[in-house]
Amino acid sequence: MNDVIAAARARGRSQLTEVEAKELLGAAGVPVADTRLATTADEAVSAADSIGYPVVMKIVSPEIAHKSDIGGVVLGVEDAVGVRTAFAQITNAVAKGAPNAEVDGIAVQAMVPQGIEVIVGATTDPQFGPVMMFGLGGVFVEILEDVSFRIVPLEQRDAHDLIHEIRGFPLLDGARGQEKADLAALEQLVLKVSEVMNTNPDIAELDLNPVFAYADGAIAVDAHIVLSDQSATD
Amino acid sequence: MPIDQTRLHRALNPRTLAVVGDKGPNYQWLTNQKDFTGELYSVQLDEKEIPGIEEKGISNYKSLKDIPGDIDLVICSVPRQVTPFVVADAIEKGVGGISMFTSGFAETKEPQGIELQAKLVELCSNAGMPLVGPNCMGVYNRRLAVKFGGGLEHGDGGDISVIAQSGTHGVGITNGAQTVGVKVRRTISIGNSIILNESDYLEYLMNDPETPAIAMYLEGTKDGRRFFEILCEAAKRKPVIVWKGGRSTAGARAVNSHTGSLASSQAVWDAMLKQAGAIATSSIDETIDAIAGLVHTKQPTGRNIALIAMTGGQSVAITDQFESYGFNVPELSDPSYQRLAEFFTIIGGSYGNPFDAASTIGSESENLQKILEILADETVIDGGVALEFRSRGFENLEDLDGILDLLDEYREKTNQPVILLMPAHGVMSGGMEEAARVWARVAERGFAGYPSFQRGAQALGRIVDFHATRVE
Repeated sequence: MNDVIAAARARGRSQLTEVEAKELLGAAGVPVADTRLATTADEAVSAADSIGYPVVMKIVSPEIAHKSDIGGVVLGVEDAVGVRTAFAQITNAVAKGAPNAEVDGIAVQAMVPQGIEVIVGATTDPQFGPVMMFGLGGVFVEILEDVSFRIVPLEQRDAHDLIHEIRGFPLLDGARGQEKADLAALEQLVLKVSEVMNTNPDIAELDLNPVFAYADGAIAVDAHIVLSDQSATD
Repeated sequence: MPIDQTRLHRALNPRTLAVVGDKGPNYQWLTNQKDFTGELYSVQLDEKEIPGIEEKGISNYKSLKDIPGDIDLVICSVPRQVTPFVVADAIEKGVGGISMFTSGFAETKEPQGIELQAKLVELCSNAGMPLVGPNCMGVYNRRLAVKFGGGLEHGDGGDISVIAQSGTHGVGITNGAQTVGVKVRRTISIGNSIILNESDYLEYLMNDPETPAIAMYLEGTKDGRRFFEILCEAAKRKPVIVWKGGRSTAGARAVNSHTGSLASSQAVWDAMLKQAGAIATSSIDETIDAIAGLVHTKQPTGRNIALIAMTGGQSVAITDQFESYGFNVPELSDPSYQRLAEFFTIIGGSYGNPFDAASTIGSESENLQKILEILADETVIDGGVALEFRSRGFENLEDLDGILDLLDEYREKTNQPVILLMPAHGVMSGGMEEAARVWARVAERGFAGYPSFQRGAQALGRIVDFHATRVE
């Protein structure tokens, strides 16, 4: 998996693209939405055909953080014709909105069903090293900062506590008649990310936001990885 | 050269002690050691100071190297510019270790202090010399009567040992624990931690068979990863209370992720302490409260507690506090209520749980005995008893002893916690003097007493949480 990091470093990048981040995490056993990079419309169609419709298409560029703001995201693409249309649409939008951005291509991603949104993250604490974070997505993390932390590496019981500790936990546990989230799957996902952080000092920060939690399983829909300052790890 | 723990052991358990650079008129450091169980020496060059030292019956030498025989611990209180010479002599002499009271090093942030500190680091690390401090109160050893202040007990026993990054808080925790009837086995004030740091001391106390529990005051850590690992191991072996003071600003860093922006230093510390299984506190009161609960109460097995208050208003207030700290105040079973109905005065009282009991136990102590017997038989109660205490008033300590005897019986029979709540406010009888006598007796009899319902509930809650985490 370090090939991904080495390649990004070789290109002078301090962050991985979404496709690279998912490739790295997927290889480490973290469930991620199937996401492939296409540099031509033909490649995009064959990627979508193999993933299965509908798909989401997004611009892949290390320099574009807010993809949808410049029209770099198209949701719910239903067929091959739609893929070609979306490919052209995104290409044009980016040419207009971010004409000087370095572009890797366009990501084609499985459009996964909506689940309960959670965030799983990691960062490097100056005193304690890699640390993991868990919280509910959206307003819970943005406004209420309802998040919990544990030092990496996490044991099973730490993953359990991390998830149970947030105030909003009842929302994962079937409050207000909602379906209960698959807590075991979330724990597994957390433990896999902990392993990634524990074995990759090259990764300084990581956001899986959102992760969708389902009654059965959980999957990271978006992924962002920031590399450590290389001089600090060498 | 890393510091050998057996060498640290020698320094912390001295049979011979040399105080270097003490000054009159008080000779603070020599006076502190007046009960020291081993051989005490003084080192002082200043002719003006020597007669005062010799008057105390202490042999003075011009240099550490002149003292016949081995020295296990040097207490150094010379001016800072002299410290490298004392350390060099100590190394040459082969002493066990050095406790350095002298300050004015890197904590001053000025070049001379920083330079002197670097010199001490160089000397001690090359020689593998355990140096406690500098800029610290040094060590307290109860059994050997090595002390850093007056009024400290010495003798057998030891319920807890203390590590403190601040001298004030090290002394404060030691005195405070002693006041609530806890025997402090050792205290180490760690100061600037230039040779040995908080992790080294924690490792030592974790392995110390004479230390059944540990309390720490910390403002930061020299090596977070190592501290976390040792703390995890230590908390598995014995209870560890950690009071983390100050909002650390260590290593402000660039943040490029959402997670990074949310991971404040305080949030990470809190999580780290929880993950390690430590008992986290945030003030000296909370720390002493937790120590008293840990040392004086039986290990709780549940959160179903019986609350005995003296008035209706207090029975509401006490219940509010215990419920807010995660306790249940359950109804008792029918057979218990039938037994209570036989003697309980319900005019001006009630026995739901909480109990409003002044009218019943105010008149006859046997009634408290009956209540405690019923509670001891009551299977629904697994978290012991909290008793509101002082508002009853104690004209003589025999009354008090009678009640403490009953509570002693209860805790021995049930193996459940008993805590006493002696609210500082809204008291119905008794003045300050009486209160002080009651507090002292409660401590002496080995009970945890708290000056508010809130503090009692919080402290006992922490003990329950700690044991619950360990059982999992």
